[in-house]
Amino acid sequence: MAANNMRDIKRRIKSVKGMEHITNAMKLVSAAKLRRAKNTFERTREYFHFVTESIEEIFNNTSEVPTRYLKGNREIKKTCFIIMTSSRGLCGSYNSNVIKEAAEQIAGCKEKPHIVAIGNKGKEHFMKRDYDIIGEYMLPPESISFIETQQISKPIIDMYNSEEIDEVVMIYTSFINSLEQSVKSVRLLPFEIDKDPSSPKLEKLVEYEPSVEEVFNYLVSKYVEIMVYGAIVESATCEHAARRMAMESATDNAREMIQELNLFYNRTRQAVITNEISEIVGGANALK
Amino acid sequence: MARSMTLEVITPSKLFYKGEVQLVIVRTLTGDEGFMPRHTWAVKLLNAGELWFQEAGSTDFKIAAIAGGFIDVKENIIIFTDAAEWPEDIDLERAIREKEKAENWLKNPSDDDSEIARAKIAILKNLTRMHVKEGGHRRKR
Repeated sequence: MAANNMRDIKRRIKSVKGMEHITNAMKLVSAAKLRRAKNTFERTREYFHFVTESIEEIFNNTSEVPTRYLKGNREIKKTCFIIMTSSRGLCGSYNSNVIKEAAEQIAGCKEKPHIVAIGNKGKEHFMKRDYDIIGEYMLPPESISFIETQQISKPIIDMYNSEEIDEVVMIYTSFINSLEQSVKSVRLLPFEIDKDPSSPKLEKLVEYEPSVEEVFNYLVSKYVEIMVYGAIVESATCEHAARRMAMESATDNAREMIQELNLFYNRTRQAVITNEISEIVGGANALK
Repeated sequence: MARSMTLEVITPSKLFYKGEVQLVIVRTLTGDEGFMPRHTWAVKLLNAGELWFQEAGSTDFKIAAIAGGFIDVKENIIIFTDAAEWPEDIDLERAIREKEKAENWLKNPSDDDSEIARAKIAILKNLTRMHVKEGGHRRKR
């Protein structure tokens, strides 16, 4: 019986070792991908503020800004959520955190919101619950190009302009550091810029061409595109960070398990030996 | 002594160019426009087209293809564009191929207006690429 038991333990050790190899390899892959994603992310963030600043500048310096994009212009009835999850699993609580936050926000909406799903996991979750998915992007997010983001954000801006939706909220994971990420929700439209009298007026008149309105409209769509692009890049970074963490703890767990099993195996083996010896000694004693 | 200003060309993914320049020529919605230091402050939208600039102290022009965007002229110039390419990075054959593809779309127009608009932009972008690759539409003066 003991020999049987030993074989079982051996088999388990082998399978856990196999798993450890796999999770360890995945960890290394994620770490490499994380490094690359972080690089792109940091480069994007450097120039991120530029468009926002331009918008604020125009807003603070002219009176002819179209109010279409400003808060309080119309009642918010229909909301569009852009939800960024990953397309693959095995990344800890990364997806469930985003989905939880999204579900909470959706619960607070009066009308059934539209959903733009980036990443498979979010799409599946909300499709099962019968939400209207009006846009999706399913390819791995780290390789997304800016042109592709434009294709995602264009219909959203169009729908906002035609008053099909009154609010655009984006839910994504924000990257704090490699060990820490948090879910963030950002309202893209309408804007909430206060006309801040204290902000510095430009000392010279600025020429806008073709017109203030057109420049502003252009900047708004750029703003949405850039925010979406930035968030996708950031989420991709977080996904890899989360997966790396998940795989690291999986590897650690596997190693711990192997250690325990090894100990158990050795004990059992010792027990078998002791047993045999005591049988022999018992037999010898009986012969005396 | 010629004055100079800083030119920054920014794309969503990187800082494409930064340096001291004395003349910048871009294609705005109404046509080519040149900016020199101490220009009136302006914010203008750009069409897909060529970007020409003269680095401070140089008489040669540098050229790049840019895919629309806007230019912010203050003490210094910032150009924000969706994409920018140096001539040496342009794949001429690919540009020609893509231009032909877009032209084919126009030959068999679909009902979708946005598709026609996209094809037109694609033609313009690739035409720019081809011109830039050949050293610019306008020859150096």
